[in-house]
This record gives sequence, C-alpha cells and structure tokens, in this order.
Amino acid sequence: MMRYLRIFATFFQASLVRDMTFRLNFLLEATTSLGWMAMNLAFYLLVFSYTPEIGRDSGWTKEPFFVFVGTGLVINAIVQAFFMPSVEEFAEMVRTGGLDTALVKPVDAQFLLSLHRFKFSALANGLVGVVLIGWAVGRLETPPPPVAWLLYPLLVGCGVAILYAFITALAAATILMGRNQSLYDFWFYITNFSRYPAEIYAGPWGGPLRMICTFVIPILLVVNVPAHTLALPLSGGDRRLILVTLAAAAAAVGLSRLAFQAAIAKYRSASS
Amino acid sequence: MTAVARSGGWPFHGWTTMLSICVADRLAHRGDFALGTLMRFLPIVTQIFLWTAVFSAAGSTSIAGYSRNDFVAYYLLTMVARSFSSMPGLASGIARSVRDGSVKKYLVQPVDYVGFLLAARVAHKLVYFAVAAAPFALVFFLCRSFFPWPPEPPVVAAYLASLVMSFLLGFLLEATLGMLGFWFLEVSSLIFVYMLAQFLLSGHMFPIDMLDGIAVGSAGWSLSLGDIVRLLPFQYTAYFPCAIWLGKLRGADLAVGLAMEAAWVVAAAVACRFAFLRGTRRYSGYGG
Amino acid sequence: MIRVAGLTKHYRVFDKREGIGGSLRGLFRRQARTVEALRGVSLEVDPGEFVAVLGPNGAGKTTFLKLLSGIITPTSGTASVLGHVPWQRHDDFRRRFALVMGQRNQLWWDLPAAESFRLHEVIYRVDPARFARTRDELVELLGVAKLIHQPVRELSLGERMKLELVAALLHEPEVLFLDEPTIGLDVVAQHAIHSFLRQVQQERGTTVLLTTHYMKDVAALCRRVVVITHGRILYDGTLAEIVDRFTTHKVVTLDFETPPSDAAVAAWGFPCERRGPQVRLRIDRDRIAGALSEILAGESVIDVTVEDVPLEDVIAGLFRSAGDDGEPTAALQEAVR
Repeated sequence: MMRYLRIFATFFQASLVRDMTFRLNFLLEATTSLGWMAMNLAFYLLVFSYTPEIGRDSGWTKEPFFVFVGTGLVINAIVQAFFMPSVEEFAEMVRTGGLDTALVKPVDAQFLLSLHRFKFSALANGLVGVVLIGWAVGRLETPPPPVAWLLYPLLVGCGVAILYAFITALAAATILMGRNQSLYDFWFYITNFSRYPAEIYAGPWGGPLRMICTFVIPILLVVNVPAHTLALPLSGGDRRLILVTLAAAAAAVGLSRLAFQAAIAKYRSASS
Repeated sequence: MTAVARSGGWPFHGWTTMLSICVADRLAHRGDFALGTLMRFLPIVTQIFLWTAVFSAAGSTSIAGYSRNDFVAYYLLTMVARSFSSMPGLASGIARSVRDGSVKKYLVQPVDYVGFLLAARVAHKLVYFAVAAAPFALVFFLCRSFFPWPPEPPVVAAYLASLVMSFLLGFLLEATLGMLGFWFLEVSSLIFVYMLAQFLLSGHMFPIDMLDGIAVGSAGWSLSLGDIVRLLPFQYTAYFPCAIWLGKLRGADLAVGLAMEAAWVVAAAVACRFAFLRGTRRYSGYGG
Repeated sequence: MIRVAGLTKHYRVFDKREGIGGSLRGLFRRQARTVEALRGVSLEVDPGEFVAVLGPNGAGKTTFLKLLSGIITPTSGTASVLGHVPWQRHDDFRRRFALVMGQRNQLWWDLPAAESFRLHEVIYRVDPARFARTRDELVELLGVAKLIHQPVRELSLGERMKLELVAALLHEPEVLFLDEPTIGLDVVAQHAIHSFLRQVQQERGTTVLLTTHYMKDVAALCRRVVVITHGRILYDGTLAEIVDRFTTHKVVTLDFETPPSDAAVAAWGFPCERRGPQVRLRIDRDRIAGALSEILAGESVIDVTVEDVPLEDVIAGLFRSAGDDGEPTAALQEAVR
C-alpha cells in the first residue's frame, strides 16, 4: 500500500516537473479549457434569457442549475487531471507495445496504466467550478443544510469513481479492440448525457432513458446527485438515490476492474 | 524535396489507387468504425430533451423564430452538415506527422500532400456515408413531420451546393491549421481554440438566430451579434446549410450567402497552399 | 531456472482484403486463419547461462520471450521461470527478472533517465543505498553518466538502448530477457553493449536469454545457441558444434604453379572460385585426406588452406533449409539426429 502511494507520489512529481517545464503549453491548455467553459456558460445564460427554468417544476432555475454546472466542472476537472491523460495515451501505448512494458513490472497494471501521467492544467476548470458553486449557493432560495455539505464531497467522490470505472472499461475495450482512436470521442458521447440535469429526460422516451442511465449505466448519477443534494430540497426518492449512488460507485469500480483483468488476460501483444 | 513537393499537381492517374488504399485503411479497424457511427447520434438526443425542457417552462412556443420542432429539425440538419464539414484528426494528424517526421515520406514521393489528404478525406466520407446512410435515413424518416416537405428544387440545389462547399471549407481550414505544425511544435492548443470557436460560432451548439436579439455597438449602428457571427466562415460548416433547408434564407439573401461561402472556400484554398509551400521550405526534419 | 515444455502459441488473424469492395465485404464477414507462431518449443536453461536464441524474422523468437516474461499466455504447453508460471504475473516473479526490447523504450520519453531510474527504484522496492551503488556502477560501465540528466527523447537510439539496459539491471534481476537489443545500432554501440553484457553477466551470474538475428551478437556473447525457425527449435547446442553438425564439407584453397584443367578440378570436389592459379573448392570431409594426397602427388602446389564453411553461411543455410512449410527437410533431420 505504502509502495503504491510512493509510486503515485513519484508520478505526481514527475508530471508536475514536466508540466512546469512546458510552462507555455500548460498555460495554453488551462486557457483553452477555461475558454471552452466560458463559452458553455455564455450558452447557458443565453438559454436562461428565454426561459426561467430548465424543465417545468424540476427546480433547476438559474442558481441551482449553476450549482449543477459547477459540480460538473469539479468532477470533470478531477477526472481530466488525474485519469484521462494516462488513458489518452493508452491506445498509442498498446499499439507501440507500451502495455508489454507495464505487464512486466511488479505493479498492478491497472494502477500503472491509469495513473502514470497527470495534467494539472485541467484543474483550472475545477477551480472555476468551485467559485461558481460558491456564487450560486450564496443565491439559493433555501441554503443547504449542514448534512448536505457533508454528503457533497462524498457524492462528488462517487461521481469521480463512476467516471473512473467508465475509463477503465474503455481501456479494457482498447486492449481487445486494438487501435481505438475514437476512445476520446466515446468518452465525450457518454459524458454528454450528464451535461444537463437528469430531469430533462422526461416523457415516453425520456423516462426509460433516464432509468437506464441511472440504474444500468449510471452516468446520470455522477453530477446530478451531488448537485441536487446541495442545491435543492431532498425528497424520500432523492435520499434513496444517494444510497444507490454509493452502491453504484462501488459496483462500477469493481466491475470495470474485472473487465480490465479479463482484457489483459487475453492480451495478444502487437507483433514484434 | 521541395522540387518534388512543388511539382506535384493533382495525381489523376494515381487517385483511384490512393482512394482505395485510404478506404482499406479506414476499414481496417472496423470495431472503431461501427461504434463511432452509432455514437454520433447521442448528443442530438440530449439536445432534443434539453430544448423540450426549455420550452416547457419558457411560456412561449417560439424562441428566436424556431418552434420546439424546428429545433429538432435544426439539430438533425446540423448533423448532416457536420458530417460533410467535420474533419476529425486532420489538423492534429498533419501536425503530428510534421513533428515526428513521417511527413517526409510524402514530401519525397511524387504525390501532392494536400491532394493526398483530400483524397483520404473523400475516401473517409464516402465510406462513412455508405455505412451511415441507413441510420441517417431511418432517423430522418421517423422525424419527417418536423421538416418542410416537399422542398422546392432551388432550395435543394442551394442546399447541396452549400454542403459540398462546406466540405471543402472544413477541409481547407483544418488543413491550413495543421500546416502550422511546420512552425509550431505544439499545435494542439491552437487546434483546440479553432474547435472552440467553431463549436460556438458555427451554429453547432445553437442556431445563430438566437443571437439576433443581442444588439452590438452604439445607437445608429443597428448590428446584432448574430450579424457579426455570420461574417465569419464558421457558419458555413453547420448553420448555413440548415438555414437554407429550413427556409430562413431566400432570394437575394440566399444568393449572396452562397457567393460568400464560395469566396471563403477560395480564400482558404489559397491560405492552405501558401502555408504548405512556406512550411515545407522551412521544414527542418525534426524527429525521427 | 527456466524450464519450457511443448510451448505453443497460435494466433487467429483476420485477413484484410484488397480494394474497396474487399474492405466493405470485410466489414460484415471476415476470413480468419491461424498463425502458428510457436509450435511445441521445449528448452531448459540453468542458472548463470547465457543463451542466444537465433532465428530469422518471424521465427517466433519474440513470441517466445513474451511468453516467458508473461506478457501473453500460450495456447498450450508449460513454462517455469524462477519457479513461477510467467503468465500468472505474480509480483514476486516480476521483481526478479527484466525484459529489454530493442527499439522500444520503457523510459519516460519527456523526462531525463534519472527520473525513470528513480521510479524503477520505487516500483521494484530496491533498497536506496544499494540502488545508488548499482546505478552508479552500471552508468559508469556504459559511460552514460553525462546522459542521464537529459530528456530521453533528445538522445540517439544507441544512447537510449544503453540507458534501457541500465534501467533493466537496477533491481539486480536474476534473469534477463533481451529481445534484439542491438537492432538498428551502429557498430560502436553494439560493441559497447556486447562488452557490457559480458561483464555484467560474468560478475553477477545473471541468466541471460537473448534473441537476435545477428551473428555478431551470438559470436561475441554466448557459447550456447538455440536456433528457432518457423516456431520450432531446430538446434540447441554450442556454436562450434553447429559447423560440425550441419556441414558435410570444408573449403579448400589451393595455389598452383601451373593451373590445372577444369575437368581435373571437378574430379576433386565442387569448385567455388577460380582466379588464375588459385582455386577454391568444396570437398567432402571424409574425402579431404584422400583428395589432398591425390592433388599434392599429381600437381605442383604452392600453398594449401583448409577452412570450415563460414558460420554465417551455415546459419543462413539452416534458416533456408527449414522449408516453406516449416518442416525441416529430410537432410536436415538426418543431420540433427
């Protein structure tokens, strides 16, 4: 256990050194991700100029919605900073035999492959997210109770865990399917569903879709549950959903690990 | 090296071979391919639900001249337009081949690099349409009530013309962007900025008409933000064809729009060729 | 130390078809065939041995190493390295061996090698004092002290390879697998690596398995050679014996005072070369004594040289004689028996 922490610390330091060496790149990356986020915020403001609420009686008026957006920014920042960089290289790594190198080391392969490179510039969005949450929470009709503040970090952690599980599953798919250039696209499409509050998925088609994306592929739990807990009053159903989220996070991480182990057991390795 | 690059015109005799090689290469990883086609529909689903939710509390059945159904039609049409004009990996691919030196093999062979890339993209699009035609047709058939039908012949002609030009414009803009790799080692941030601008200002995210209500400038200068955005080339990669089909542009406006699009295509072609010639001359063969 | 029995590895490969039509058809129905990369390889290596695995490209050498290092699992057969089954990938096992593959690097691309070494220290749980000593020794031996603080991507292939070797030995592995380590390197670098490997192996008694298709590597480093072609072991023994086993003749060079007739030369053996008064020919080993006495008695000879067939030619012949379907030709089977 200690050893893994030390390895993590070594990777952390190495990535930090690397990011600081390429300072210009770091600043450019941070700036562009901030730019992206600013454009999305502008879009949301544009939409809110035409309507007071996203989904009638859903509760997602402007301030709660921005708590949602801020939560999304924080969760995605953590994932983009600590997990995505390693996995983005993954397809290329598999192609050039980097996976061989990892399998030979006396370290858990999943750990090595998902945590060896970090991108600290992605944290910029997370900081803005925190500011956004602070601003929006201050303007809520009913401020959140203390228990909500306790649950919030835990649920954010669950959201990160669920996304990590997806990443691991995609990595396993890369190993089996060879060059998967659309890994990053795939990621975008999956997380795209959670860009807006789950309540927008209503009606004859939306209802079932919401169910599937909550209980089968729990993508709608990631941002929704922590944001809802903080910004809106909780019903009985919402409380149950919190428990579901905790369970889903554990299950997702466990299942994705199994998938990953299965993938490396079947690994064929590029020809020499 | 430069002599070969400069002398390369359009290699007509080798074109079909290149085309079939590109196609074969594209289909070499079919798992990728099949999945990618399916995935492209997903963001539209979210958009439809989003706008339904927006309208449900909006207190009006029309936003910026679009009804809820119009929004659905609009986003489906942007998918068609984007399938013509989006060039995934083009700019970054060029930049990378410059960075790792693999661009040398194209400079040394008697083949026009830009022409080769264009052939590769045409191949990619052809294959994509071959496989994606069925799902597209199905979706459009299911949603046919959202669209104005039957369309007038001039509208159809203008629409098709705008799509073809949209393909060329998208290609040339991204190719030029990739050529910056001859000057900058890390072009990925520049590419990202381009993607950002394109996503927001092309109408991919929302119809540009939504910006018409925002006034820009002082009194006596009645410009809206929408007018300004329409001056940029980005609108032709998503918004413009959709606006044609949905009847938002008629008569003189339509003609002027098409002419502007053509002008942008020419400008981009010149920029691309210029960047390529200057870039190859500067090329130092980094990497490898 | 290393025991392999009947190790077999088959791959299912999907054929890509030609042209657009073929590719489109390939999207819906693929044709598969089985590639037999390794067919029943058996081997035993004792501790401290330095074994070369020689074979042409595609012979199965790399597949063999990947199986022994646990990267892939076999279709059938067993292997045991240091008492472990490699593909179970136990941490205890992985800590005791090292794998270096030519032209592939495990060092971090953007960082100096020194950083990668540090990481190595943590991953392999090497005692810091011991690690520092080992590192300094190895770096000194290969003469790369100035390079370890430069980002790896700025170095040449030869320099990178040397650093790879240092990294591989930092945790003092008992077994070292090398897959074509000198491929693509210039003569100077090859030579440096050869002497480094020789020294390290002698000093530390590491068991080394080295795959290569270069004769130079083999000749410089090991006595024991295993020849693999088409996924099978063709020969397992010393280098010296290869020549004895696989050649039936020797090369005799004669300098005559008066050049003999072609007919006469043909009677003694198979002529290879004639340059005026000098004749080079191949004569069956059993016949050499007889032929020579005949020639010396009948002609005026100024000089005689009797040599073995060059090693390269023997090996090349071995590679070729395996036959297109991977089955050794009858003559070869005779020789091996």
